[in-house]
Amino acid sequence: MNDEEAMVMDRVPLLSAIVLSPLLALLVVVALPGRCARAIKIVSTLSGLLTVALALLLWVRFDPTGPRYQFVERVAWIPSFGVSYHLGVDGIGVLMTLLNAIVFFTGCLSMSTLQERVKEYFAFMLMLVIGVFGVFASLDLFFFFFFYEVALLPMYPLIAIWGSTRKEYAAMKLTLFLLAGSALLFPALLSLYWTAGGTTWSLPELAAFAFPERYQLVLYPFIYVGFGVLAGMFPFHGWSPTGHVAAPTAVSMLHAGVLMKLGAFGILRVGIELLPLGARYWAGPFAVLATVNIVYGALVALQQRDFKFVIGFSSVSHMGIVLLGLNLLTPDGLNGAVLQMFAHGVMTALFFSAVGFIYDQAHCRDIDAFGGLARQVPIASAFFIVAGLCGMGVPGFASFWAELLVFIGAVQRFPALGVLAIVALIVSALFMLRVFRQAFFGPANPRWAALREITPWLATPRVLLVAVLLVFGFFPGLALDLIRGSTAVLVGSR
Amino acid sequence: MQHDLLLFLPELAVLLGALLVFVLSTGGCGARATRYAALAGALLALAAALFSLRYGPTGEPFWPGIYRVDLFSQLLKAGLALGLVLTLLLTGELATVRPGGRIDLPFFLLLATVGMMLLASATELLTLYVALELSAYSLYAAVALHREEAPGDESGVRYVLMGAAASAVTLYGLSLVFGAVGSTYLADVTAALAGGRPLILVVGLLLLLAALFFKLAVFPFHFWAPDVYQGAPHQVVAFVATASKLGAVGVLARVCAMLAASPSGLIEIFLVLAVVSMTLGNLAALAQTDLKRLLAYSAIAHAGYLLVGYGAFSALGLAAVLFYGVVYLATALLGFVVVCALGRDGSNPGLDALAGLHQRSPALALMLLTAMFGLAGIPPAGGFVGKWFLFAAALQRGQFELVLIAAANTTLALYYYLRVVKAAYLAPAEGRGPVLLSGGERVAGSLALVLVLAAGIYPAPLFALAQRAAQLLLAR
Repeated sequence: MNDEEAMVMDRVPLLSAIVLSPLLALLVVVALPGRCARAIKIVSTLSGLLTVALALLLWVRFDPTGPRYQFVERVAWIPSFGVSYHLGVDGIGVLMTLLNAIVFFTGCLSMSTLQERVKEYFAFMLMLVIGVFGVFASLDLFFFFFFYEVALLPMYPLIAIWGSTRKEYAAMKLTLFLLAGSALLFPALLSLYWTAGGTTWSLPELAAFAFPERYQLVLYPFIYVGFGVLAGMFPFHGWSPTGHVAAPTAVSMLHAGVLMKLGAFGILRVGIELLPLGARYWAGPFAVLATVNIVYGALVALQQRDFKFVIGFSSVSHMGIVLLGLNLLTPDGLNGAVLQMFAHGVMTALFFSAVGFIYDQAHCRDIDAFGGLARQVPIASAFFIVAGLCGMGVPGFASFWAELLVFIGAVQRFPALGVLAIVALIVSALFMLRVFRQAFFGPANPRWAALREITPWLATPRVLLVAVLLVFGFFPGLALDLIRGSTAVLVGSR
Repeated sequence: MQHDLLLFLPELAVLLGALLVFVLSTGGCGARATRYAALAGALLALAAALFSLRYGPTGEPFWPGIYRVDLFSQLLKAGLALGLVLTLLLTGELATVRPGGRIDLPFFLLLATVGMMLLASATELLTLYVALELSAYSLYAAVALHREEAPGDESGVRYVLMGAAASAVTLYGLSLVFGAVGSTYLADVTAALAGGRPLILVVGLLLLLAALFFKLAVFPFHFWAPDVYQGAPHQVVAFVATASKLGAVGVLARVCAMLAASPSGLIEIFLVLAVVSMTLGNLAALAQTDLKRLLAYSAIAHAGYLLVGYGAFSALGLAAVLFYGVVYLATALLGFVVVCALGRDGSNPGLDALAGLHQRSPALALMLLTAMFGLAGIPPAGGFVGKWFLFAAALQRGQFELVLIAAANTTLALYYYLRVVKAAYLAPAEGRGPVLLSGGERVAGSLALVLVLAAGIYPAPLFALAQRAAQLLLAR
């Protein structure tokens, strides 16, 4: 690329393009009549592909040695109230944007067989995706929360209409839990604004303000718990497994894969960054809660007989690793947490799409009812098994490095918690192996002889996800180099 | 004189519209003709108000000190005219109005609007009182136009009785104020307040506040709301819930601006009423199955949110209240488009009447969804930004707990808003036929939808207007 091209590229607002391309797709989908189901799917999937391409471009063009926030765009939005449309990403933002693009795109692909109310489905899903992209790219606290709320509410119709298994209950529970979290954030975020002088909502500018220590100690729990609800923090995780189970495949993928990361991202971006003293003060108690997440999630997953509940509770456990990593407040801990956010996102997306494929055919998710699936549908089974191995933290997959980093950090800082977490991981590995044996190996159950193997078209998104897990498993440096600078600033700051 | 008339143009347009309607209705023309005449007047008023907002001629037409035209009053008049236009668009089919009254409905709506427009500009106690009564009596008459005699009359009587009580209280309050200050000019009252707070003056103003709380349906003056919402004709309720509410929001803003210099003691009263109103409104709304009653309790809760902004007694608080008042007007109106469209047979639509709405009329379902998101305060609807401003004003005063309670209330409220969404998007249609929107409903709904979304996504223009209006109020 010569200089002139580079100049042109710099003028293209890349982040706005990423946030707005699903918006464009949303407008097209709303304008199309509902009977054009095929066109709606194509438009959505293309916008997914476009965001993947743009996110890759973002990754390639991001300079880890450059300024902290790059691709910054800023337009005054409500000038008399200090709000501006202010986008920009650090390494963490780039990685999360990439994650969302991947899950969005593969989610569209795996919903290509949807028949029922296609237009509304993709409209709500696109709204959710816009919100998520917006949160990852926002450097303005107002827009951060704006997009955060935009991302939350579509979950209600998505689960309640297209879901299964007590879908209305699950949708209502999820929405009320998440918005109760927002209710804690509402006063907390406004209070940050006024305490810092009431002139700016810009996150970098707020971060430069030294909030009084006492204030930080009081406010930090509001932010941590408010966002933590979405990250599935114990004891406010109850919405998550029921929500996962009830949601349709792509929604589970987006929800567990990306949406829960918004919570962790919020803790990082708003909590740890703006209130470092508060984060340090509360690190101990919240690390204990995070460890409860890990242990409790793993133990409850042991009891489950339903594929999706297994994944749901292991998600609680895996998000516990993210939260534990965040509370370590060391470079290793944060790097591990961010990498785990990414790895877990891709992994759960793979998990849910693998289960979704089996459920769509068998209409059964009872683990004990299956047997020998690996012989009947070897490829479809392989996807689940790969996701399971990744979840166990087997080397070669991205989550291995993430969990390793968090556990090393944890053992150094909170030895007892670290050991407990590792034991819990071994327990969950045992159970995952039992699921493999029961459902995928062992004697074949003749009831499922009619199951058909996954078509190449439907396999494509899953293959992509596996590829991403492997790439980052073998080359964790790709991600670590990207985020190292950003996490170092967070830990080093004041 | 010419300049004075120009300043008076929005009021004049509505007044002329009312006269025209009166002449037409006595001249034997049908309801259709009166409706178009009314719409013409309302549109002219809207254009005039918007024009004066843009080019901002200000002054005190006719008699100085009594009537003031400025950005604040014109913003309110534009909002009122908008509410009137949108309501009139919904009056195509008046199934809930008794046949003999259909021709008169536009007349009462126009008169009520004139009253509220006068209210927005009144800076003298007697003018204020006369304007308040003009709007109130027109609405009493409109509420009583209900078709089914028994329930309609009951709600009409209840509204009149409670309104009359409120009005008596106001009058008593005004007389106390006059006794304390010796003048009926608000400017003198403000000056008197600045020089200390004699008890009699404070009591008088509190009584005036009570009357405004009645209009806004703030606890403990909210009892009329559910019954009137349920019993009155759909279109009249739409007007009471939108334009009439904005009128009350405006006057209360003016009174609060007068008190802003030394609000101690009042803040606590506002806080308590805010918390009780929103909690009570939301809790009661949880149990409702009638869409209109649900909207009534939601309105009580929203009066509570508004008090959060008033209770800040600051420029930001008043700006937030004005912004929210306009956004609420559009949002609530969206809800009433649904009520009018589904209640065409004269019945009050319940939640079960919404079943399968997404199939029966996707456009109407979208309007309902936006209305519920807007009331719940979910972006991109304007209700989110509105609440953000309101709560920001409270936190500027450091009222963290209040905002926490208010935010918890919005979560509570979400439950019943989602029940409405659920009924429209989840429940099967079960043989209910498609809903056809009339042209007027389509236009009104689309306009309100665009307004709600525009205010939510790019609030800066409206908020800047509200801020300038609030500063004007406080400067006086």
